[in-house]
Amino acid sequence: MKREKTPSVYIKRSAGDWIFDIAVVVLFCAFTLICIFPFYYLLINTISDNDLVTSGRVNFFPMLKNEAGKAVFGVQINNYTALRNVQDLGSSVLVTVARTVLGTALMVITTAWAGYLITKRKMWKRSFWYRFLVVTMYFNAGLVPWYMNMLMMGLTDNFLAYIIPGLVAPYNIILVKTYIESIPSSLEESAVIDGASTLKVWLKIILPLSVPILATIAIFGAVGNWNSFQDSLLLMNNRPDLYTLQHRLYIYLNSSSNLGAMMSQGGTISEQAAQSMLNQRVIQYTVSMVSIIPILLVYPFMQRYFVKGIMLGAVKG
Amino acid sequence: MNAAANALPQGEKMSLGRRLPLWVFRIVALLAGIAMFFPPANPGRISEKINESASLFTNGVSYGTITNSMGRILRSQWIRDADITLLMIACAAVMAGVILCGIGGCMSLGNRKMRRRGFLFPLAGAPMMAAGLMLIRHVHGRMMAHGEEVGKLDKIGVMIPGGFWVFCAFAALLFLTALIAFLTTEKETDPAAKMDMDEKYRLFLMLLPVVLLTFVFAYLPIWGWRFAFFDYSAGGSIGADNYVGFKWFHFLFSDPATTKDLLRVLRNTLIMSGLGIATSWLPIAFAVLLAEVRSTKFQRFVQTFTTIPNFISWVLVYAIAICLFSTDGFVNSFLSNVLNVSGANTNYLQIADHTWLKMLLWGTWKGVGWSAIVYIAGISSIDQQLYEAAKVDGANRFRCIWHITIPGLIPTYMVMLLMSIAGILSNGMEQYLVFSNAMNKDVIEVLDLYVYNIGIGQNRISLSTVVGISKSLIGITLLFAANGISKAIRGESII
Repeated sequence: MKREKTPSVYIKRSAGDWIFDIAVVVLFCAFTLICIFPFYYLLINTISDNDLVTSGRVNFFPMLKNEAGKAVFGVQINNYTALRNVQDLGSSVLVTVARTVLGTALMVITTAWAGYLITKRKMWKRSFWYRFLVVTMYFNAGLVPWYMNMLMMGLTDNFLAYIIPGLVAPYNIILVKTYIESIPSSLEESAVIDGASTLKVWLKIILPLSVPILATIAIFGAVGNWNSFQDSLLLMNNRPDLYTLQHRLYIYLNSSSNLGAMMSQGGTISEQAAQSMLNQRVIQYTVSMVSIIPILLVYPFMQRYFVKGIMLGAVKG
Repeated sequence: MNAAANALPQGEKMSLGRRLPLWVFRIVALLAGIAMFFPPANPGRISEKINESASLFTNGVSYGTITNSMGRILRSQWIRDADITLLMIACAAVMAGVILCGIGGCMSLGNRKMRRRGFLFPLAGAPMMAAGLMLIRHVHGRMMAHGEEVGKLDKIGVMIPGGFWVFCAFAALLFLTALIAFLTTEKETDPAAKMDMDEKYRLFLMLLPVVLLTFVFAYLPIWGWRFAFFDYSAGGSIGADNYVGFKWFHFLFSDPATTKDLLRVLRNTLIMSGLGIATSWLPIAFAVLLAEVRSTKFQRFVQTFTTIPNFISWVLVYAIAICLFSTDGFVNSFLSNVLNVSGANTNYLQIADHTWLKMLLWGTWKGVGWSAIVYIAGISSIDQQLYEAAKVDGANRFRCIWHITIPGLIPTYMVMLLMSIAGILSNGMEQYLVFSNAMNKDVIEVLDLYVYNIGIGQNRISLSTVVGISKSLIGITLLFAANGISKAIRGESII
């Protein structure tokens, strides 16, 4: 990304150069705005007065009503506190957090192990097994056979269906393998001469040295798990309590009935608040925001890992 | 490790007579391991009412799957819960036996001491399998007696499945070969000898769990292709009576409604993929232009924010679409409240016009910043001397871009292009599923979504499988073709 500058030629810039530069900057500003404004708009809709949202008075800034009923700049978080009354949301948040933590951790361990072993040229039929793993990236038997297979394994309506199939991630194995191959083999060899076992070499030498790539695949895995929707949609037909957050949100977004009706009875909210909570749209927005926030929060810190991941991925495995 | 490998008795060659039982044992153990996940070989399916898609493994671990399709029978206690529990225990015992044999099989790759010790596992495991099988037989007897007692024997269809005899044969063979191998493996005379294994096998065995997981979740589904050759409906069974051969393959072309659907879906798929391929140069343009901005801070800022959409799910993209384009979304409220346009209450998501274009735009919004990263990195790896030399020769910016930057990115682009051509039939279904509604259904349904809709939505398992098989086969052909082209042109494979 960092490009060394070649100053000599840029010293004299023609009018055309200036126009071009400005046009490019404007273009990128516009596109960046298009990328972030929707998130901002979603956010201000959830922290404004719900009546103003419904009547379309919230366009660029969060608005509240003052005593006179006029719209003024302001923020409230009632929608977020009201979320605890939304039926089934809690369980799907729990399920999603659980699968993100468990699924990611186990996937990283499996991948680190497989990625390390697959670099071992001495392994019996190594290149065959490597292809055996990698081909699954490009080939799948199809949706229905996959579903029937999961049914056969007893992995429908079962939390384990979120974890076990995700353990082996061929793309991540390629990333880890490529990375480990770039580690000087002398480190490993000296440990072997000192009598370290494969497991010990993996634990004491390979794992600490491959932390950057493991962080990368952990982030990929965590985002993937957090965003998971399809497996929940297909496999959890009889277990609504195991729906993931995205699946739950999908249901909310598609429910024609008023979400307010889905709120459990006897909550702590007052009559008036309950009335304004009947606003289905705002609930949808707030749930959406809740499922976006974790990604937005971790993203800036993790961006370099993402970039590293895709760079390594571009190198053929 | 080298040292350890050298410590192996290198001259340890075995005669054919000794190797034969060893290999028979390994192969049978492997077969038994596979059969464990193979529903037709389920020894525990002692009633027709036990879920047909349940394997020995499922029988051993999941009560719910065994009893999936026997609601009434269980409620009326024509089959007793206790019998099912007993059956589970029996199946678990058979499984444990198979696993012990598998351990023996793994250890048989080691040196003499390890082999000899390893054979103790199947010598315990095979009898355990036999005990499990006997217990299954016993449950069979109990079920039969109980069925007779309540007079519903015909309803519960008690039987001894073929898989039972298969596993009996497995147990006998495993025991026999393990015993022979054990007896013909001489006891290690050197008391200092340790259990050891050639490194190549040891490494393989360490990878084995990963290989098995891959097999079970990525290769085993191919077994589900059999549904294409039967008249199968969910919860039903397959057998000689509903075997239909290639009927469903013909059906795709002989049934006018299906053919019409298929053509419509193919059109959507090809157009959406085609639009994606036609705009696949956008990330390059993005990267080239961004590299022209001289402030690295600005570059990083743009990069950070334009890649965010890639990391949110399609459901959330849809939520954002609602927020912006629905009746009370941003566009309408902006038009009516800021620009004072009257009657601005169109729900843009419900309009079917320009659906392909809209889907392309959403895809671009989500993906372009992310796809550009590869090219941005590609640009930074281009040799700066090229630019300097070009400038000395009087080349301006655009010439530099055209003659240096872009040719430098073409190899990467070719790989991406070939991959997207290979994946032309796989657009994924999530995006189209979330955006589909009654209005745009006809133009938004792509192949993946169609497979989902007919297979899961309408329960036409066989038809959906046929479409899926065709798609998989065409996909893999395209992939190999793309790979061949890449090899021919660039001398490098892409997979």
